[in-house]
Amino acid sequence: MELTYSAATKKPGKIWLLNFAVSILLLNYILSASPASAEIPGRIISLAPNITEILFAIGLDNRIVGVTNFCDYPEEAKRKPKVGGMSTPSLEAVVSLKPCIVVMTTDGNPKEFEQRLRSLKIKTYIFRARTLTELPQGVRDMGLELGAKEKADTLARKIETAINNPPTPPFTKGGRGGITEASQKKRVLFIIWPEPLIVAGPGTVIDDAISILGLENAAYRSKVSYPKYSIEEIIRQSPDIIFIGKGHENIKEVSKRLLKKIATVPAVKKGNVFYLSDTLYRLGPRVINGIEEMAGCLK
Amino acid sequence: MSKIKFLFLISVLVITFSVSLFLGPRIINPFELNGTDKEILLMIRLPRVIVATLMGMALGASGAVLQGILRNPLADPYILGISSGSALAATLGLLSGMYMFSNFSIPLTAFIGASIVSILVGLFGWKKGGLWPGRLLLAGIGLSFLFYAILMLIISISANEVTRRALLWIFGDLSIAEWSLIPYGFLFILAGLYICISRAKALNALMLGDDFAHSLGFSVHRERLLLFASVAIMTSASVSLGGTIGFIGLIIPHIVRFLAGADNKKLIPLSALCGGAFLCIADMIGRTIMSPAEIPSGIITAIIGSPYFLYLLRKKDVLST
Amino acid sequence: MFSVHNYPILELNNVSFSYERGNNFIYNLNFSAGNGEFIGFLGANGSGKSTILKLASGILKPSHGEIKLWGKSLQNYSNKDRAKLLCYLPQLLDINVPFTVRELVKMGLYPYDIPPLMTIEEAIALVGLQEKSESYITTLSGGERRRVFIAMILVQGAGLLLLDEPLANLDIKYQIELLRLLRELKEKKNISILMALHDINIALHFEKVLLIKDGTMLGMGNPETVLTGNLLSKAFDVNIEIRKHDSGRSYVSYEDTN
Repeated sequence: MELTYSAATKKPGKIWLLNFAVSILLLNYILSASPASAEIPGRIISLAPNITEILFAIGLDNRIVGVTNFCDYPEEAKRKPKVGGMSTPSLEAVVSLKPCIVVMTTDGNPKEFEQRLRSLKIKTYIFRARTLTELPQGVRDMGLELGAKEKADTLARKIETAINNPPTPPFTKGGRGGITEASQKKRVLFIIWPEPLIVAGPGTVIDDAISILGLENAAYRSKVSYPKYSIEEIIRQSPDIIFIGKGHENIKEVSKRLLKKIATVPAVKKGNVFYLSDTLYRLGPRVINGIEEMAGCLK
Repeated sequence: MSKIKFLFLISVLVITFSVSLFLGPRIINPFELNGTDKEILLMIRLPRVIVATLMGMALGASGAVLQGILRNPLADPYILGISSGSALAATLGLLSGMYMFSNFSIPLTAFIGASIVSILVGLFGWKKGGLWPGRLLLAGIGLSFLFYAILMLIISISANEVTRRALLWIFGDLSIAEWSLIPYGFLFILAGLYICISRAKALNALMLGDDFAHSLGFSVHRERLLLFASVAIMTSASVSLGGTIGFIGLIIPHIVRFLAGADNKKLIPLSALCGGAFLCIADMIGRTIMSPAEIPSGIITAIIGSPYFLYLLRKKDVLST
Repeated sequence: MFSVHNYPILELNNVSFSYERGNNFIYNLNFSAGNGEFIGFLGANGSGKSTILKLASGILKPSHGEIKLWGKSLQNYSNKDRAKLLCYLPQLLDINVPFTVRELVKMGLYPYDIPPLMTIEEAIALVGLQEKSESYITTLSGGERRRVFIAMILVQGAGLLLLDEPLANLDIKYQIELLRLLRELKEKKNISILMALHDINIALHFEKVLLIKDGTMLGMGNPETVLTGNLLSKAFDVNIEIRKHDSGRSYVSYEDTN
């Protein structure tokens, strides 16, 4: 309406100019606010642990009204109302929390659930980043949508720095046995769980982190992200370094049998088996720590 | 069933055994072994192929015996709740941190769980001084549902990691095979096989009905108890070696019955041999086709076996009543 | 040896039995069967024919009284020894396991550690199933199935056969064939046969019958004395008369009680 008004009225001089400026401002406001974000969404539900972590990291903790059962980081996330699992969120629980927006991921949330929410006139936002390199932009986009542009930008820049200037472990510079093999990248195997043997394959944050550090994922041939891996293939790939994810307090005990079986691979022989925390399991703010932690093991 | 046929089958098993030993994600040439090949062969593949053979034998024979004593063609060694019982026991063991003690603790827990379930099924199936097929079957199904429900309850309220390991016992995984368990598994499965093969005549008679078996000079309840015990021993041992692998116990005895007849003196040993060979092949395929990822053998056994079974069902009209 | 004809090989002395506590199904039954006898048990459905045969074969244990086989208490026999002397053929033979005829007949050898008198081939030939010895039992007709089991029993070689309604569900032709076969065996091998029946017309042609009602014996002896209209009417709860054909053969006449 302002647009029509300003266009229709033709007043001479400064008043016209002022009028025009006001109109532009108003137009700008209208365009930016509608229809997508008439206001900053006040009540947010996160349907993935990594999204919850990002939301906390960009200072939206007070606006989160619901998270999944798997959202356990940071500590305060555990105290938020739960709406069920990632693949099986409860529609009823979500609706009853009266969210202004439900943030979902393409990695684990059912598409049908999003459609269902929209049919109930509940707004959704889909976080589309799937790899480490996509993460900064993903964080920025989400920050913009949720009205936390500045903080999201800061976090995105931090992640970019970690990705672009990784701490270079001395390990990667020399070769396996010296100069002759200098060009050969060190092979790394990241074991998510030893029994049954599940490792991190291509397309995972862990795989991204490994290549950022100038290493090579020994499970690169897998067609699946988290394959149930063949033990004899580990022996053949003979990784130089093995990381074992700390999924469980007794992970060292559980890994014993596996490590005994692959006792001859260089990583086990030379004692290059490291236990890492779960920071690289989620595409969230903690990947920065994860990369550092991984690099730290190699010193 | 001549000796020649039997020898032929034995050699098929031996060939299967060696083929699955040398085939895998990569082919190992037995005449040109390098260090890595040798290690893989001895430490990874050999125990795995042995475990596959033992489990397949135990399941094939158990299925044949159980279908006989329950007089039900749909009986499967796991119908008695042995799989859910052992999975539950293993999960409880994992939760209580029992695996801290040694490598044996979880397989042992699974074995004890399976044995306890067998005894419970036996107790529920017991009336008037003997085991009754109908009661056994229903007791097995009832207990199976109960344990499965408890298991699911535990899984749904416990950490992800415990769940993952518990599922291993439900879906079976031969990759955990290692030398240390094999002698015990071998001993139990051999004992079970010995018992049921030596009672094969009684099983034949029991399949005609209790009255027939009595008339033919068998102590019905004693024979059924012995046969049931052999199934319990073999199935429990097999579960503790590599979890539960479906299909073999149900279908292999039927396939053998189609091909060689119902006489248990042939059926039990042949089901054992075919079960062993079949699981070997299935596991070989499972670790090869998607290499370096692995597909659980239970899936492969069903995918290959079911079409063949259905083909036989159409072609040979033996089971018609 | 016990070659004396009519030596009592099976004796039931004051035998009672109940499926449920306190409710006697068989009450105070006394009878004996002699060597080489062919006895028919006649009675209505649920009169206790099958139960008596199961008691006599040791499948069921009497709650009172004693059963003797060749003068020795049945319970004192081992399973195998008993199986060599006595053989029971159940009424229901709905076996859907694909055993072959030969496999089934061979099961008659189970009680023995050494091969007995009759070979499997002989037994199969005696019941006339030579052509079908490799066929699956599941593909045979009802009459053929009965004969398979008779052959099995022959191989088992017991001197006393307890047959529970072997003529049930058979065409008249097969009934006659089977009876003829059993009579032949009785003559040739001096086998004693106890057979449950419910067809009065067939019972009329037995040498000896036992009439049962509600677990008690109404009479035992030759058909002329036992199968009278009076007793039969009592046993079957229907008015029954025995009439004589012009040829001298007896037959049953049922009268409508209305």
